[in-house]
Amino acid sequence: MRKTNTTGEYAISSVDARLARGSEELAMDHDAFAGFYQRSAPGLRAYLSRVSGNAALADDLAQESYLKFLCAPPFEGGEVSHRRYLFRIATNLLRDHWRRKRPAGLDEVPEHALLVHDASGGVEARAALGPAMAQMRPRDRQILWLAHAEGYSHREISEITGLGSASIRLLLFRARRKMASLLRQQLANNGRQR
Amino acid sequence: MLRTCSREKELTQALRDGHWPHGCGEELRAHVETCASCADLVLVTQTFQMARAESGSASMETSPSLLWWRAQLRRRNAVAERVSRPVTIAQSFAFTFVSVVAIWFAVSQYRSGLHWASWWSWLAKVPGMYLLSNGSANPDWNPVVLIPTLGALAVLSGLVVYLVSEKS
Repeated sequence: MRKTNTTGEYAISSVDARLARGSEELAMDHDAFAGFYQRSAPGLRAYLSRVSGNAALADDLAQESYLKFLCAPPFEGGEVSHRRYLFRIATNLLRDHWRRKRPAGLDEVPEHALLVHDASGGVEARAALGPAMAQMRPRDRQILWLAHAEGYSHREISEITGLGSASIRLLLFRARRKMASLLRQQLANNGRQR
Repeated sequence: MLRTCSREKELTQALRDGHWPHGCGEELRAHVETCASCADLVLVTQTFQMARAESGSASMETSPSLLWWRAQLRRRNAVAERVSRPVTIAQSFAFTFVSVVAIWFAVSQYRSGLHWASWWSWLAKVPGMYLLSNGSANPDWNPVVLIPTLGALAVLSGLVVYLVSEKS
């Protein structure tokens, strides 16, 4: 595996080698892709939407993620590794987006943008998630979502985000503690408003 | 400071499998009530899982067929670009070479007062070129020989670059 200091980006060497070699075939045939898409799209879109706080951007990045995924030459591994690779592409695209559009980066996303998806929520904790997410750093949102919504292990999160495997545990612990505190705060505020 | 609980793994697995709280023992449930770290884990995981389940029902508008077709188109374009790259490199090289020769020729002509034969006499001084110089009766005719020669050289150079880049 290769790791760069500036981005912390991991690259699966075998995938890179296949990309360099360049095949004319897509990663999957049409039917296999249709099935994979149906199973993975909601999760990917939810990840991008929650982390970016922008549903339209999430749709664009999800589409681009699938295109990049398909254009990468076919590689071995089942659906689990395909899904992980897809999330890695999406994470890199998010990072590229934030780098390009720094003034409109995630830290500047208004709180209401992250509240949109909770408008229909009936569960209090779920309604509190938007405002709590808005107060978290982008990286923390990413690892929290990958760990607690997608159920990825520390090693898998490391592979997807490019962060060091050893630091994931600490980052996740801190992010979770902060998120729990924010959620409780939001729940208390919501309770007082009623 | 990192203070994780020894029961975190067990609890994480229970939450992941959907066994929390009813599928877990009384002991673990009592532990969560007293352990701040585990309480955080339960609150955050359950909230995220609910949000994930809610998002799961919202599907993307783009059809997989359209994405598959677009990917195929992009892949073909990439392959076509890769195939034509050596030709582009060879063309650029040939163009640069011819441009440099043309500029050099124009400058040399300008300096010598637009005498076509002046540079030819200079060339005749180069060892090995006297045969070509003596072989032509009319010196003004010589550029007609030399320019196509340089052109052919440029084309051949381009071809060599093409073959080398194609091989690599």
